Amino acid sequence: MTALSPSRPALSSLLLPHPAQTAGLDAKAISRAKLGDIGAFTEIVQAYYARCLRFARAMLVEPDDAEDMVQEAFVRLYRALPRYEERQRFESWLFQILGNCCRTANTVAQRNAARLVTDDALLERIPAETRSDDDALSAWGDSVRHALAEVPEHNREIFLLHYVEGFSYDEIERMTGVRQSALKMRVKRASDFLRARLSRETP
Amino acid sequence: MRSPRDFRDGADPIVRRAIDELRRLPRVEDDAVAAVVSAAATARVLPPADEPITPARERGRGRLLIGGGLVAAAAIAGFLIRGSMSSPPEPVRTAATTSITPAALSAERTAVPIVEQFVFKAPTARHVSVIGDFNRWDASVAPMSRSADGELWSVSIPIVPGRHMYAFMVDDSLLVLDPRAPKSRDPDLGAEGSVRIVGRP
Repeated sequence: MTALSPSRPALSSLLLPHPAQTAGLDAKAISRAKLGDIGAFTEIVQAYYARCLRFARAMLVEPDDAEDMVQEAFVRLYRALPRYEERQRFESWLFQILGNCCRTANTVAQRNAARLVTDDALLERIPAETRSDDDALSAWGDSVRHALAEVPEHNREIFLLHYVEGFSYDEIERMTGVRQSALKMRVKRASDFLRARLSRETP
Repeated sequence: MRSPRDFRDGADPIVRRAIDELRRLPRVEDDAVAAVVSAAATARVLPPADEPITPARERGRGRLLIGGGLVAAAAIAGFLIRGSMSSPPEPVRTAATTSITPAALSAERTAVPIVEQFVFKAPTARHVSVIGDFNRWDASVAPMSRSADGELWSVSIPIVPGRHMYAFMVDDSLLVLDPRAPKSRDPDLGAEGSVRIVGRP
């Protein structure tokens, strides 16, 4: 798998500053979207698209597929909206669907990569990793994304949901069915790995 | 919307810096939202699950993998049981948004859906669906029911005659081929799928 390490988005494509919170969304938009109001659904997509894209890029083995995965997640969500029960938090539900899409895509990508690396000719065509030494900020961003890509998927997802998307352990437990003690352990393992990898590159 | 929450306080300084980096929002292309809304609206006008299934031509964006060791815990050994319709057949309905030729439309109008049963053994699975070109690879369309002994999952769905590719979606995360069915490579996806021939070839 490392031979086919994923290409990561350039820092130039990451513009908005932290914190990356969802733009204000009219609470009634979800109710209207449930009834098939396409305008209300558009409001929902506008409110969550950037966050979903950020999550998908960090989750996917092939980040270039992130736009497709986000679209697929929203299509599934729109289809299932009439069955949505509002006692479940909408945002949790959306990221649950998106997480499923990303994990499925990763499984396929990993299997395809496993087949491809047996092709010597293909291996020779894989470009060497390049990095601009004079762009320290970009280098840090690339380092973070490369390090995160090496975190096991089940740890990476929980780390992203908790620290980047701001879900509490309580919420993630409801989303995934995994006990909070296990969730905290996954986040700790991801954090330990990132610290170990990135401390070598921190000035 | 809820107020922003920040859980970084307990994190190591290096990890906090990494989190800050990961929190940067990506630039969103101008037409991205419109493309998503258009795709969703199109998907919603396609026939729902309880209608006769659309033909293989309306292939979706499904992705397949070979089950293999991924579901060893499920001890999967599925098999197929062909069914036949017990009630009068209904004409095939086509999706409003599908572009098809008049000849194909004519052939489709005369095609009689045949009820096909899919059976899959996955005792540890929480839920299983059959997905294929006949339901746009959508796991929500044909959920399978667990047998009384908890070993088998099954569903019967009407499918128009022809050659169809399919797989099983286990627990919303694993796509598994049917070990009892022949396999073929999907021309659109480049991945393998199980093959079911419905009706006379």
